[in-house]
Amino acid sequence: MNESARPFYWAFISLCGIVIAVYVLFPIFWLFLASFKTAEELAQLPIGFWPQEATLQAYRDLFDSGSQSSQLLNWPTLISNSFIIAVTSTIIVVILGTLAGYAFARLKFPGRDLILGGLLVSRMFQGAALLLPTYRLMNSLGLQDSLLGLILLYSAFGLPFATWIIASSLREIPVELEESAMMDGASRLQAMVMVVLPLATPALITAAMWHFVGAWSEFAFASILLESSANKTVTIGLASFVELFTLEFQKVGAAATLVAMPIMVVFFFGQRYFTRGLLAGAVKG
Amino acid sequence: MGSVTLNNIRKSYGAVEVLHGIDLQVEDGEFTVLVGPSGCGKSTLLRAIAGLETISDGEISLDGQVINHLPPKRRDIAMVFQNYALYPHMTVAKNMGFSLRLAKESKAEIDRKVQAAADILDLAPLLERYPKQLSGGQRQRVAMGRAIVRDPEVFLFDEPLSNLDAKLRVQMRSEIKELHQRLRTTTVYVTHDQIEAMTMADKIVVMRGGHVEQTGSPLELYDRPVNVFVAGFIGSPAMNFIEAVVQGGNVLTSDGAMLGPAPESLSDGARVTAGIRPEDIILADSGAEAKVGLIEPTGAETQLTLRMQGASMVMTTRDRITLSPGDAVHIRVAEGKLRLFDIQSEAAIR
Repeated sequence: MNESARPFYWAFISLCGIVIAVYVLFPIFWLFLASFKTAEELAQLPIGFWPQEATLQAYRDLFDSGSQSSQLLNWPTLISNSFIIAVTSTIIVVILGTLAGYAFARLKFPGRDLILGGLLVSRMFQGAALLLPTYRLMNSLGLQDSLLGLILLYSAFGLPFATWIIASSLREIPVELEESAMMDGASRLQAMVMVVLPLATPALITAAMWHFVGAWSEFAFASILLESSANKTVTIGLASFVELFTLEFQKVGAAATLVAMPIMVVFFFGQRYFTRGLLAGAVKG
Repeated sequence: MGSVTLNNIRKSYGAVEVLHGIDLQVEDGEFTVLVGPSGCGKSTLLRAIAGLETISDGEISLDGQVINHLPPKRRDIAMVFQNYALYPHMTVAKNMGFSLRLAKESKAEIDRKVQAAADILDLAPLLERYPKQLSGGQRQRVAMGRAIVRDPEVFLFDEPLSNLDAKLRVQMRSEIKELHQRLRTTTVYVTHDQIEAMTMADKIVVMRGGHVEQTGSPLELYDRPVNVFVAGFIGSPAMNFIEAVVQGGNVLTSDGAMLGPAPESLSDGARVTAGIRPEDIILADSGAEAKVGLIEPTGAETQLTLRMQGASMVMTTRDRITLSPGDAVHIRVAEGKLRLFDIQSEAAIR
């Protein structure tokens, strides 16, 4: 490309990026704005963009024990269940993924690369194909309709990718650092914890974020495995809520914003690690 | 005390044996250099002493105690790695104090020892910096500092200067040697650079293909190499080799020029490889004929490439010369400096 065409090229690329971002983000932003509007304002024509009088009433209704929506769906319980499942399975996935990733990165055993590749293949199965067998398996183990069942299930689904990301990152850390630590008096475990893991932080954070977001927003397995309202999660709650309050769009907006909030917080604080973690092993350092 | 004894050390990777029964004695306080071309097994041997490689057979002893089965951390041996292996997330002080922290020494004691090592190595102003903020030479010194704070029985160095530029390499070479003279800690140092070996070592171990070819002081190896390989490896520019024949008690080139007297053990007609160091070739009025090829003055001395019998020979002289490329000269070998080797086994003929 000649020099004079370069600015136009980048302007075109940037414009495409902006168009795609607006296309993707506008509905989400619209929903977010709707959550601050009143029911009357939403019913007006023509529809306004910004709230005329911003109000938190829709959010209050979600948690106000006297309100109709709160009586139908217990949001504190839904949120707490989702947190327990997402956080616990994230901890399990990161700890086991680190140990397994370390083994794949450092230890020599027959079929190592084949197994590591096989972990990725496991992600290629459509979740829907596994719904029925998973349901029967969980039933036979007595783990249906329990938070523990979902924690174990999400951990099993999340481990392969976490292991793969962590193993890729650990392979980039020079083995001499560990050997040096061992010469300095560290055991293999101490060398791993004190020297290797601090250097693999971006990969660990990426694996944790990836898993947390997936577990927090998972719907299909939660909807077939969880039955009692005491065990339901936010995604099931949100689906029911949309059915129940289709006409009260400000409440749907508030509920959707509430459910999306933890994911946005996680990405806000973890985004600088995220690309570094995903790109581990992509280029020679 | 810190004497290291290696007894019949063997190491195999599957069916491939890379160390073929190495025997070596490193005395307490000695600076021993393992030298040899790439793939000769010198780094593997060093890592075996460190405990980072298991050995397939043999015994490694430190002060008479067999340490084969001990993990690295229990061998009381410190190692400086080729790429320094500094912990990137720790400051210089933390890097140097890491081993002491693991040994659960008090903070005051750690600070004192780190400060003492930093003073020895001129690292005091850099203690709060991170490795990425240091130059190559400074990183190298931190790696050494990390080794000396532990006051180990043995230091191991694995090609520690190979990542530095030529000038810094010379400087660090002197620093390591001075450090050794000051601390007198037993040191095993691996390099492929024979000049490093010559200048630093009390004892050099020349290795090739997983065998020890010769062990001795630098000058012993230089003056009395046991075979063509050692003779060619030690010394820069390298020793010249030329095919020769024994006749009438003398060693002659194929065109009949005399190189020097033959030992009594060789009978007339015996074919040998003659080895001549570049500084032992002297320009003379008579002797073997040669043509001047390249002339390379370095200031202190001049290096000449001579062509004779279709082969090239390098000579060095400290005299100022007025020759030009293409000039014909006569050369002879300084008295008593001709080395002879068996043409088949390549072993030295005494």
